[in-house]
Amino acid sequence: MREKYGILPTIRPDSKVRNLATLLIALLLAGCVTTPPDIFVVTSELQQKRQIETRRYEGINEADLITACANVLQDLGFNLENSETKLGVITASKERDATHGGEIAGAIVVGILTTLVGAPIIIPTGRDQTIRVALVVRPVIDSNGKAMTDNHFVRVTFQRLVRRTDNTVFGETLNDPKLYQDFFEKVSKSVFLEAQKI
Amino acid sequence: MKPLFPVILVCASLLSGCATTNQRVLDLGDETQLQKRSYQSRIFETADKEKVLRAIISTLQDLGFVIDRADFMLGSISATKQDRNQIRITVSVRPKGSDRMLVRANAQLNISPIEDPKQYQDFFSSLEKSLFLTAHAGE
Repeated sequence: MREKYGILPTIRPDSKVRNLATLLIALLLAGCVTTPPDIFVVTSELQQKRQIETRRYEGINEADLITACANVLQDLGFNLENSETKLGVITASKERDATHGGEIAGAIVVGILTTLVGAPIIIPTGRDQTIRVALVVRPVIDSNGKAMTDNHFVRVTFQRLVRRTDNTVFGETLNDPKLYQDFFEKVSKSVFLEAQKI
Repeated sequence: MKPLFPVILVCASLLSGCATTNQRVLDLGDETQLQKRSYQSRIFETADKEKVLRAIISTLQDLGFVIDRADFMLGSISATKQDRNQIRITVSVRPKGSDRMLVRANAQLNISPIEDPKQYQDFFSSLEKSLFLTAHAGE
C-alpha cells in the first residue's frame, strides 16, 4: 500500500545503511558551513565598552600624547608590534604565564572525583598567554566637524590568547573596568611627565 | 560485503573532503570575483583618506575589534575580535577618481571566509554612522 501511494518512505532491509549514508553526508556538508552571528552591529553592550575604554586628554598635542602612551605600554612590559602614528595607532603584545591556582585546584578535584567514579576526566588549564593591546589616539571633533587642537580621545582595548596544557587556545577581550581605569591613571601620569619634559 | 559499504563511503568522503588545497588558497566559491567585490565594497563621497581611515579604526573599535595593523600609505587596517569566535578583518581604502574613496573589506570567522553580504552591509552601515556619509554601491 505504502509503495503504491508513495507518501511514506518504503521500509527495505537496506534502509539502515541508507539512513547512515544520509547522516554521514549531512554531517560532512554541515562541517563546511558555519553560521556567523551578528558581528558588525553596534549593540548597547558595545557602546558601554566604548565608555570604559576611552578617555579624553586636553592640553597635549597628538605626537606628545601618543609618545606618552607608548611609554606607558613599555612601563607595563609590552613590546611594540606595529604603529602608524599618522593614524594614531599603536599595537603591542607580551607573553606571560597563565597558570592560575584556583583553576588548577579545580582541575585536580575534578580529576580525583572522576577517577574515583572510574571515568577520569582531565581538565586542561591555562599554561601561557599572549596579551595584546591596541591603542588609538584620535582628535576630538567639535560641533562644526572640525578637529579641536590639543584635545584627543585615547581608546585602548586589551585581548588575551591563552594556551592551555592540552595545546588548545582560547581568546577573549578583557572587560574589567578596573583594568582600564588603572591603565588610564598611568597614562595621565605619563602625560603629566611628558608635558613637564621629564 | 554489506558492512564494507559505510566504510568505503566514509573513506571516499574524507578523501574528497570539502575542497582541495588550491581551492582553499584561491578561496574558489560559487561566486565570481566581481560578485565578491561588489558586496565587499562601498564608495564614499569624500577625498579625505585620513578621515575615512580614522573612521574605520573607530568603527572597528566600537565593534569590539583590536587593531592589528594600520598603514596610511597603503590605506589598510587589519583587526581581530576575540568573542568565543575569532573574527579577522582587513579594510582597505583607495581613491576613486579625485573626490571619492573606495572602501573594501574582507573578513573571516575562525577558519572560514565570511561570504554573507548581510555582514558586510552591517559593517558599512556602522561605518556610515561614524563618517556621517552615505555609502554608495558600485565598483
